[in-house]
Amino acid sequence: MSILSASLGLTRYRIIEEVPTELLQQVPEKLKQFCMVDIDGTADERSFGWTNIDDMLDMNWTASPPEKADYFAFSLRLDTRRIPPAVLKKHNTIATNKELEHNKEQGKNFVSRDRKREIKEQVTLRLRARTLPIPAVFDVIWNASANRIYLDTTNAKVRALFEDHFTLTFDLHLEPLTPFFMAMDILGEEAAPRLENLDPTIFV
Amino acid sequence: MDLSLVERENTLLGQDFLTWLWFKTDQDAVLFKLEDNRTFTLHMEQKLSVQGGEGETKATATVSSPAGELSEAKTGLRTGKKVNKAQLLFAMDQDEWLVTVSATDFGLSGLKTPKISTKDDEGDDPDAKFLEKMFLLERCLEMFDVVFTQFLNLRLSKDWAEESARVKLWING
Repeated sequence: MSILSASLGLTRYRIIEEVPTELLQQVPEKLKQFCMVDIDGTADERSFGWTNIDDMLDMNWTASPPEKADYFAFSLRLDTRRIPPAVLKKHNTIATNKELEHNKEQGKNFVSRDRKREIKEQVTLRLRARTLPIPAVFDVIWNASANRIYLDTTNAKVRALFEDHFTLTFDLHLEPLTPFFMAMDILGEEAAPRLENLDPTIFV
Repeated sequence: MDLSLVERENTLLGQDFLTWLWFKTDQDAVLFKLEDNRTFTLHMEQKLSVQGGEGETKATATVSSPAGELSEAKTGLRTGKKVNKAQLLFAMDQDEWLVTVSATDFGLSGLKTPKISTKDDEGDDPDAKFLEKMFLLERCLEMFDVVFTQFLNLRLSKDWAEESARVKLWING
C-alpha cells in the first residue's frame, strides 16, 4: 500500500455535490462494478479501474473491505503495455524487408505507403500480445465526513484519469483543492468576487 | 467558471502565500495554533524555487542548500520573482513533517510523516498502520490549512498593504 510509504505525493479534492447517505452505502458495490479488468490475456494497450488497497490483485474485495474506520480506502490500478521503440523498429524493419523481397520476386522494387502502414499495425499488435502489461497502483482515500479525497500522486495524467473514473463510477464531481478553490472552501462562496479580483502583490 | 481565470488566481494566491510564508518564518520561530489549541512551528527547509515572468520570459531559479542558506533565491525575489515551490518542515512536540508544496496547484510531494511502526504485532487491528498513517497525514494537512487560512485572512484584509511593505523591507534587507 503506497499511502504507507515513507515519502509520498498527494493531491487533495473535495466533492462538489452533496453526497447522499444511500450513495455512501453503495460505495463497495460501485467499486466492484467499475473495478480493474485484467488484460494479461489480451493485446489491449491499457486498462484501469478500482482495486483493493491491500491487494492489487483483489478486484472483488475478498481479502478486506474498502471501509476502514471512517474512511473508504481503495486503489486505482492502471495496467499499460509499452513496446520499447527499439523493439518495434527492429521487428518493423524485419517485416518490411520480407515484404520487399516478396515484392521483388514479382518485379516490384518497393513497398507502398499503405502497405507499410499496414505492416506496422500488424507488427505492433503482434508485439503487444507478447508484451506483459505493467501495473501501476495509486491509492485513494475518501474521508466522507470531512468531504475530502486524497489521491496518492501529483501526476497530471493520473489525476485526470482518476477524476474521470471517479465521476463515471459515483456520478459525483471532484474539485482539486488548489489555492483558489481552497480559499473558496475556507472563506465561503461570498468571498468569490474578492478572490477573483485580486491583484498580485508587488513585493519589490 | 473560466478556467484560465482560476489558473491565474491559483498562481497568484499560491505564490503570494509561499513568498509571505518565507518572510514570516525566516525571522523568529513563529507559533501557529490549531483549533484544539495545540501549537506547532514551521520552517522553510533546504529546497526552494522562485519564478518570475510570463509565457516565454518565464524564468525559474531553484536553490538547494543543506545549510539552509537560500540567498540566491532571495536575490531572485529582488528581481520580482516569487516563491513557486518550497519545502516546509512542520514541527509539533517531538514530531516532524516534511513536505514540498507547489504554489500553482498545492500539489504535495515528498510528504514525510513521523515514522509509524511497521511491525505487525499479533492481535493488532489489520488497519492499525493505515489508521495511524491517516491520522498523521491529516494532521499535516490540518497544519497546512491553518497557516493558509491565516494568510488568506491577512491577504484579504486592509492590513495586507502594511504586511507586504514589511515583506518588501525583508527582501531588500
